[in-house]
Amino acid sequence: MSNVGELPVANRRLTEFEALVAAAPSVLDAIPGAVYLCDHEGCLVRYNEQAATLWGRTPRLNDPKERFCGSHRLFLLDGTPLDHADCPMADAVRNGTDTCNTEVVVERPDGSRLIALVNIRALKDHRGQIQGAINCFQDVSAYKAMERQVLRQAQDLEDFFENSAVGLHIVNCEGTIVRANKAELELLGYTAEEYIGRQIREFHVDAAVIGDILHRLSRGEKLDRRAARLRAKDGSIKHVLVTSSSRIEDGKFVNTRCITTDMTNLHEAENRRRESEERLAATYEAATIGIAEADASGHLLRVNDALCKMLGRSREELLTMTFFDYTDPADRAEDAALYARQTTGEIDSYVIRKRARRADGSTAYLDVYSSSVRDSTRRFRHGVRVLQDVTEAKRAEDRLRESERHMRELLEALPAAVYTTDAAGRITFHNKAAVEMAGRVPCEGDEWCVTWRLYRPDGSPLPHEECPMAIALKEDRPVRGAEAIAERPDGTRVPFIPYPTPLHDTDGKLIGAINMLVDITERKQAESRQRTLIDELNHRVKNTLATVQSLAAQTARHADGLQDFVRRFEARLLALAKAHDLLTKRHWEDAPLDTLVQEVVAPFAGEGMGRLQMDGPPVHLNARTALNLAMALNELATNAAKYGSLSCETGALSVKWHLGEQAGATKLELAWEERNGPIVKLPVRRGFGTNLIERCIGRDMNGELEMAYDPQGLRCRIAIPAVGPRRV
Amino acid sequence: MNALRGLKVLVVEDEGSVALLIEDMLQELGCEVVASVARLNPACEIAAFADLDLALLDVNLAGTLVFPVARILQERRVSFVFSTGYGASGLPDEFRNHVTVSKPFSIEDLARAIAAARLDPGEPYSPKKA
Repeated sequence: MSNVGELPVANRRLTEFEALVAAAPSVLDAIPGAVYLCDHEGCLVRYNEQAATLWGRTPRLNDPKERFCGSHRLFLLDGTPLDHADCPMADAVRNGTDTCNTEVVVERPDGSRLIALVNIRALKDHRGQIQGAINCFQDVSAYKAMERQVLRQAQDLEDFFENSAVGLHIVNCEGTIVRANKAELELLGYTAEEYIGRQIREFHVDAAVIGDILHRLSRGEKLDRRAARLRAKDGSIKHVLVTSSSRIEDGKFVNTRCITTDMTNLHEAENRRRESEERLAATYEAATIGIAEADASGHLLRVNDALCKMLGRSREELLTMTFFDYTDPADRAEDAALYARQTTGEIDSYVIRKRARRADGSTAYLDVYSSSVRDSTRRFRHGVRVLQDVTEAKRAEDRLRESERHMRELLEALPAAVYTTDAAGRITFHNKAAVEMAGRVPCEGDEWCVTWRLYRPDGSPLPHEECPMAIALKEDRPVRGAEAIAERPDGTRVPFIPYPTPLHDTDGKLIGAINMLVDITERKQAESRQRTLIDELNHRVKNTLATVQSLAAQTARHADGLQDFVRRFEARLLALAKAHDLLTKRHWEDAPLDTLVQEVVAPFAGEGMGRLQMDGPPVHLNARTALNLAMALNELATNAAKYGSLSCETGALSVKWHLGEQAGATKLELAWEERNGPIVKLPVRRGFGTNLIERCIGRDMNGELEMAYDPQGLRCRIAIPAVGPRRV
Repeated sequence: MNALRGLKVLVVEDEGSVALLIEDMLQELGCEVVASVARLNPACEIAAFADLDLALLDVNLAGTLVFPVARILQERRVSFVFSTGYGASGLPDEFRNHVTVSKPFSIEDLARAIAAARLDPGEPYSPKKA
């Protein structure tokens, strides 16, 4: 200020610096903004109120410590501290450099900061010497904050655009792609260079579609999820939905922002679903098995042709019914109970064979496979029922069962023991005759044979696993000609012939065997009887021949010449033959005494009545007694005919017998009495005939013989021990 | 024939007429018939106690078999000959190989059988080891 006072200034034009320094303080304060001046050394020489307000302080003027700026501290916008000596004002004072719209951060002594927009001009004298500088600055903090927010929002938008999961692009009014985000590029497989700058039309498959899209957009219409097809770089077609709106400025179409949503996967899934549904529908209708869908109460929701045909009912009719309606009442409860359990989720599915009523009243047998369709929460949605008409199969099964029953009845009725086994030999069936023969009911798990124990014909034990049935099964062949003996639990034995025969299914696989056991007890007995009979016959023939031999020899020895021999031998042979005849008639069991007497004696008595008297109870003679008695009676009769009462016409013969007790034993007593014949004399010599009688009665029969040579007639008493009541 | 002279013989034969023939044959061969019986019991008694050189045994005595007599004779080492209508097949194992004369037979058959029995009186039977 001293300079101002020293120099006369009246005629000299003031420099800008001098003028500003000289200006009244009010002038500086009137300036709308903060202003301060520094001299050529940088000292603050003037500042206005606004500057002091922004600085938050009032620095002293012309103080060498207050140089270049009145602020407390300075920073660059990035926060770097800025020394006052390096600030733009210092540059202006030292180098004359002006600063235009530079921003620095001013910190007040209280720590608060503001951004100052700084404009500096160096002030020079007339010769161009730097006299100082003026700094006009203003607080632009609020503006800067707004600017930062706008920037951040722009960045957010940019980021959103670029990193959005959906494809985005912007097309200008010429239809050229000006921007496209990553998702859009990835969707189609192009790089930014290959996509951006090209016509959007080039990427659309359907020209009409993009034409329409662009037309609409140019008119300001919005597009919402318009379906379109885009061609990807690899040639594949992408199904997309385009959502788009136009930006119109001043009534002029500027560009359009498009959102491209990739629907390809969804589209493919949809195609697959449709195909599968079509396939299912085709199957549903073409199936030869019935298919129905029903709700939880059994109402039919859908039925196929096969089911309609099966039930003889129209689709329209069935769709008004529940599946219980056509079910036979006898099967309804069971089906309903199972379906209820299925709808509640207690069971997933079930199978039932039931009778169904056709429209014509006939009955169909159906095999039903019922299952459920459930939603993702396992809740019942509807029942799916697959039905097969098994009426024919059922009939065939019934026929088979009937024929099986028939066969069983047949087997049951057979008088032979019959049983069957499975392929492993376990008994599966046996008839009553088998139980009778085995003397037991076969136990569960019995194998090979119904019998209790088995023996071979020689009596050695035969294990069941080696029996003919076991062989038939193990070797898969019928066994014939075997013989075995079954022992019953009560110890009795039955000889039998088994007829084990393997059974095969239609494929020829062994499924078991059937065995018939034929009881041959009677045959065995008959065989044994026959053998005995043959032995006995042989024995008798040989003995008879020996007897004949003896008779011939003895008769020859005592005969009076050949004629006598022939007569006597013939008579003895005939007596023997008659006894044989009688015995043969009764199977050699016995011969009646009266007939024997009649047969042997009568021929000697002639045809005349009254000469032979016979009397006695019926008595049966066994073979031995009959033969011996026949021989004895023959000798007596021969003698009577030659010497006794039968030798003349007046003579008579009485043969009487009775069964009497003697010393506690029963005896047959037979009395031979001759009358009215020639006078009987004692025989001169004992003949062979008498000898033979004695042999027959005494020696062979253990009997007694008494001969009384009464002159009136021969009397003979024969006593033979009885072997039973009326049997001798 | 002389070899048989004086032999004391027991005849067991259930049929009287056949016994008569046999007795005649034996007498013709010079034998002495000590007894001729038709039943088992008297036959056993005589076989056990009588002074015998030989016995002729009918196998079947009215349904009873003569073998008890044969065993007694075997014990006493008395020769015997079976006479039978059955042939050898009717004999049990113990006598399977014994001398047998099959009815009807001639006097020569009888003489041969007696001679054979005299040569081989037969050991008491002992069952072969099983």
